Amino acid sequence: MFPTPIERKSRSYQMAYQGLLPMVLIMWLLPLIAVAVFSIRPDADFTNGNYWGIPSSFNFFENYGKVFFESDMPRYLLNSVLITVPTVLGTIALSAMTGFALGIYKFKGNLLIFFMFIAGNFVPFQILMVPVRDLTVNMNLYDTKTGLILFHIAFQTGFCTLFMRNFIRALPFPLIEAARVEGVREWQIFLYVVLPLMKPALAALAVLIFTFIWNDYFWAVVLTQGPDAQPVTAGITAFNSQYRAAYHLMSAGSIVAALPPVLMFFLMQKHFIAGLTLGAVK
Amino acid sequence: MRSIIKASVATLTATTILAGAAFADGHAKLSGELNITSDMSNPAPRAVMERLAAQFDEKHPNLTVNLTVVDREAWKTQIRNSLSANAPDVVNWYAANRMGPYVSAGLFEDISDVWAEPAFEALASTKGAMTIDGKQWGVPYTYYQWGIYYREDIFKELGLSEPATFDEEMANCAKIVESGRKCYTIGSKFLWTAGGWFDYMNMRTNGFDFHMELAQGSVEWTDERVRETFSNWRKLIDMGAFVDDHQNYSWQEALPFMVKGEATAYLMGNFAVAPLREAGLTDDQLGFYQFPLIADVPQGEDAPTDTFHIPSGAMNKDAAREFLRFVTSEAVQSDINGNELGQLPVNSASSVADDKFITKGFDMLSNNAKGGVAQFFDRDFPAEMASAGMEGLQEFMVFPDNLDDILARLEETRARVYK
Repeated sequence: MFPTPIERKSRSYQMAYQGLLPMVLIMWLLPLIAVAVFSIRPDADFTNGNYWGIPSSFNFFENYGKVFFESDMPRYLLNSVLITVPTVLGTIALSAMTGFALGIYKFKGNLLIFFMFIAGNFVPFQILMVPVRDLTVNMNLYDTKTGLILFHIAFQTGFCTLFMRNFIRALPFPLIEAARVEGVREWQIFLYVVLPLMKPALAALAVLIFTFIWNDYFWAVVLTQGPDAQPVTAGITAFNSQYRAAYHLMSAGSIVAALPPVLMFFLMQKHFIAGLTLGAVK
Repeated sequence: MRSIIKASVATLTATTILAGAAFADGHAKLSGELNITSDMSNPAPRAVMERLAAQFDEKHPNLTVNLTVVDREAWKTQIRNSLSANAPDVVNWYAANRMGPYVSAGLFEDISDVWAEPAFEALASTKGAMTIDGKQWGVPYTYYQWGIYYREDIFKELGLSEPATFDEEMANCAKIVESGRKCYTIGSKFLWTAGGWFDYMNMRTNGFDFHMELAQGSVEWTDERVRETFSNWRKLIDMGAFVDDHQNYSWQEALPFMVKGEATAYLMGNFAVAPLREAGLTDDQLGFYQFPLIADVPQGEDAPTDTFHIPSGAMNKDAAREFLRFVTSEAVQSDINGNELGQLPVNSASSVADDKFITKGFDMLSNNAKGGVAQFFDRDFPAEMASAGMEGLQEFMVFPDNLDDILARLEETRARVYK
């Protein structure tokens, strides 16, 4: 069922593999490389049609300097942080509680509620664009960070609940029964018994949701406008002036915007992979 | 209750207008607040707007000027909301058809009285663009010319001179193609560049007035005169005058052809000059000429104009009118267009920046645009017609044989859009 490990294949097969791998890798990374190289090019390179050649001058400091000191980029980055962090905290807190309720208690409609959380995930979110926009306008939350945070929390909680509920289900139930026998109150069971056991799930989810929300572009464009509330993914287009698109600055801005999730990934790699596979095998 | 308030506001404004007229020479004691909502959100225009607001505030000690700058793109969707609920006193918008919907909805104030003042004779070149139903609905503050930017050095090398007529243009082009180059670069990926070509072909073939009739929907797209425009255009396409695969390039991506000398000219707005200079072309290499004559009609020119308007729901119309007088005045116009904006002043008495292309454009629009000043395809035609239209124009440039199909489709759109 699994492919034969490479070391058990013939020598010629291995050599072909080793030769092709770097080439495919470079092809795969080509768009990213192009953006990285563009971010250190001067603007004139674009007008000269020098897209793939060697940059005519090394403008690393100039371009990135402009991104940090002469644009609204720092503000957009701050917005991203102010949107992402509360969303992560909010979703994790809510879904830990819903997961606990759905995973531990047996009551009528438990399964129905659980299915409704899951069903929410099957609604393509583009369908919700217009109603959600109208809703935020009517609630005076349009173009505010709060609006975006609330919506993200609401929408991410469904997936997180599924995740948390399954994780809690997998915990040994006798632990909870033992606590109950000891006379521990239910909220204390949640706080002192279940929550510490959920740490790996919490960490994994936090990393996952962080990257989801940080990279969100769709809702950022739909629900916010301008540097007061817009996160960095949407703010990158602010480098376009009325007539001209500043591709070199947009590239530099994109690199900067991509750094936090990349850093997050490398620092929390273990949790990230755990997050993707958790619950996949019981 | 509401109507009472409305009525009292109306009488109030009526009296203030009278009062304003009494001090029409611009030294009225203005008081209260003046709320300006501007879409000049790019760095340089924003600085201009902030300075204007500050200067106006200083000039009128009893008046507080509040400036709100909105993102330029966002403003395009926000304006209707903003005009109808809690309207500011002055807003930014665009001239001609683009202001049509707000004029017909009664959201813009009729300011014909301001235009009737002698000082406004200096703004004659853009008056047409501000006029709907014989009244003026706003003032312009900046515009820029369109025309053909070309490689002067290559023209010299091939022994060509600036063409004045379409025949000369085609003769030039034949020589350029022969030398292995293309006559025009264009990137039609985002469609509007093709709109520029159509504007000029149509204005030169059938005249400015016909072009406007077409824009207003009173002429059929399948009209014989429209076909003539396309057949003139086709002459160039069949010569191989345009760069290949232009439907894959944005307007900026089409610049390298010009810089490398693979194409010799670009029909574009004046904003193309800055990147071409940055790419290393000097003013000796880069020239400008007005789009050549085709039929014997007065030349119409594309010169997109940005404007200021007073919402009809504004509270301080007196101060707003004074602000419009202020931004169009000779001194302010010289200052803002000459420095930060790098465009043309709307006041003919203003001085222009010391720049080859700005001076040429100013001269062209002041003296040689007798037909009229158009605003560009996507501003003159209603939005829905413009987007269908530009798609058709791009298709025509790539597959000229589809013309009948395209025109039938555009005619269908016309019948639906202008009901």
